[in-house]
Amino acid sequence: MTPVPSLLLIEDDDAIRTALELSLTRQGHRVATAATGEDGLKLLREQRPDLIVLDVMLPGIDGFEVCRRIRRTDQLPIILLTARSDDIDVVVGLESGADDYVVKPVQGRVLDARIRAVLRRGERESNDAATFGSLVIDRAAMTVTKNGEDLQLTPTELRLLLELSRRPGQALSRQQLLRLVWEHDYLGDSRLVDACVQRLRAKVEDVPSSPTLIRTVRGVGYRLDTPQ
Amino acid sequence: MTKTQGGVRGWFAARKGVWSRLRFTSLRLRLVVVFGLVALTAAVSASGIAYWLNREAVLTRTQDAVLRDFEQEMQNRAGLLPETPTQDELQHTAGQMANSSQRFSVLLVADNADGTPAYGSSGGLDGFTLADVPASLRTAVNEKQPVNSTNKSEYHLYWQRIVEDDQPYLIAGTRVNGGGPTGYMLKSLEQEAKDLNSLAWSLGIATGLALIGSALLAQAAATTVLKPVQRLGAAARRLGEGKLDTRLRVSGTDELADLSRTFNNAAEALEKRVDDMAARDEASRRFVADMSHELRTPLTAITAVTEVLEEELEAETGSMDPMIEPAVRLVVSETRRLNDLVENLMEVTRFDAGTARLVLDDVDVADQITACIDARAWLDAVDLDAERGIMARLDPRRLDVILANLIGNALKHGGSPVRVTIREADDSVVIEVRDHGPGIPEDVLPHVFDRFYKASASRPRSEGSGLGLSIALENAHIHGGEITAANSPEGGAVFTLHLPRDASKLAEEDGNENDGTGADDTKKGDA
Repeated sequence: MTPVPSLLLIEDDDAIRTALELSLTRQGHRVATAATGEDGLKLLREQRPDLIVLDVMLPGIDGFEVCRRIRRTDQLPIILLTARSDDIDVVVGLESGADDYVVKPVQGRVLDARIRAVLRRGERESNDAATFGSLVIDRAAMTVTKNGEDLQLTPTELRLLLELSRRPGQALSRQQLLRLVWEHDYLGDSRLVDACVQRLRAKVEDVPSSPTLIRTVRGVGYRLDTPQ
Repeated sequence: MTKTQGGVRGWFAARKGVWSRLRFTSLRLRLVVVFGLVALTAAVSASGIAYWLNREAVLTRTQDAVLRDFEQEMQNRAGLLPETPTQDELQHTAGQMANSSQRFSVLLVADNADGTPAYGSSGGLDGFTLADVPASLRTAVNEKQPVNSTNKSEYHLYWQRIVEDDQPYLIAGTRVNGGGPTGYMLKSLEQEAKDLNSLAWSLGIATGLALIGSALLAQAAATTVLKPVQRLGAAARRLGEGKLDTRLRVSGTDELADLSRTFNNAAEALEKRVDDMAARDEASRRFVADMSHELRTPLTAITAVTEVLEEELEAETGSMDPMIEPAVRLVVSETRRLNDLVENLMEVTRFDAGTARLVLDDVDVADQITACIDARAWLDAVDLDAERGIMARLDPRRLDVILANLIGNALKHGGSPVRVTIREADDSVVIEVRDHGPGIPEDVLPHVFDRFYKASASRPRSEGSGLGLSIALENAHIHGGEITAANSPEGGAVFTLHLPRDASKLAEEDGNENDGTGADDTKKGDA
């Protein structure tokens, strides 16, 4: 991880792009900008940023599609910038693989806090490993293997798995997870957790539709179990 | 209306239906009564006249025949009697006279030679004596009229109808002109009375039949008139219920068809008008929605830049031109206001468009309130009476919006301390926000949740957007809850928020597929 995080801001509106670039630069980020999804994908390959801030409404391929294309090859964090807090947008955005979202008009400070929170997810903290059935979580290497194969997890997915694995067999509420993983305040959107759990299940479970590792605890939240 | 019911209940219902249809004021009853009265009047007068004419005709004919006969007999037989006939002669002649075709009894009275009256009765009727003859008739018969050019005879024939022992009789009397016995005749009119009686009966029955017929006709007429009226009534009711596409089938060219046509035109005009208004309303809502969307883009840029300015202000004094500083502060604060306003407008348009959705989670209500107060640095001004452990399934963001608006409003208008209490009631959570201000004027109370409502036009612009309480109420409604505003008897305004403990049922009814938690729980049951 570079000392100064580098961001890629993909936003078609000149004023917003300029203003956010200004604001984020002042917060101490290195910011590259692109006005279209196509340009953004090209810049992504050239510059390898640490994180992408992506506007949903883009000319040409839209933000959701950009998000999906990035996820095919990369697991770097993506924060969606949506002008509409319409719920369908949020859900589609989360399903296409975004780690977090902010609603316009966004305050630079909030965006900065989200960016830092997302970036922190990749930081390692302890040096042990845990095994859940065929799943091995190596906290030192920050890798997860299933049946000996490396799993490609985004930092958010990894952090979620780490937080769950730290308290095996104990149910964590969505609000707790939002605080632990997303560092959101008490108003966090619980759908972030649900979307991330579904993506995680798709990667770690044998049969994602009938999970044996990450279980839903009705009325509470989620729990990581060791399969019997 | 009773088609689906059967048996006794159906019968009762049918009875009830009949009664309700025959209400005194009902058109049907009035029609029947009027028809009946018309038929009764017509039948009674027709029968009456017919009866009267018939009666006169029958009686007159009988009477004329009898009287002619009697007169004839008097002249032919009684006139031949000697001046002073004997009792036997009188008796014999009376018998002969009574033997005529008309079958009447005869009483002959003559003077004997010695001046005493002699009687001769036909004997066909026992006891036809002079006593049976009314005195007035006797006087008239025996009265001698002066003979002149217009009156050729001294004595005339007089008659009278009498009723004796409930039997009608015709009684007549005359005296043979030029000296002779006086003759009386008694004829029973029983046969005629019987005939007339049966005629009266037939006429009565005919009148009755006419009445029944008129009642049936009235029913039929009422049905033909009332059916369309009922249809019209039902259609008007449907129209009133908001089914504006209600139309009547127009058949015929009568007044009712005309009325139906008028109804249809009115309904069509109404529908068009409502559609127009709805379209205009929709257009204006869409405009506000589009407008707020459009405002967001420049606002996002402005917000980002204002923050840079704000940091510059906070950095260290003197780093900015003192002339510019107030201007920058103004821009910063007003940008924040504009942000709030657009945010609220967006929220309102989502409610108006019905696109607002619940994102449910299980939360501890007390924790949420504490966090809400804490996040806004209101801890010192708010007195919270809430026990932890009251769990509810609701949208935490929306609960926060409600609480922030209610508490913010209380702090602004009532001043601290604001008291917030939670209590549980059945399957709902009740949160009360009470301030210690002057309360809400009675005339303002019904409008506190109105958008952009200002208590008085002269009141200075408040800090809020004027949408806060309205949004709070909408947020409560989307949970299936309610907010009420009142004044506490101890002073100060009290806003009471009722929220159901579990709003997920409502969210499901909403057809909400975006409720990630709910969908996850139901689709992916752990086996």
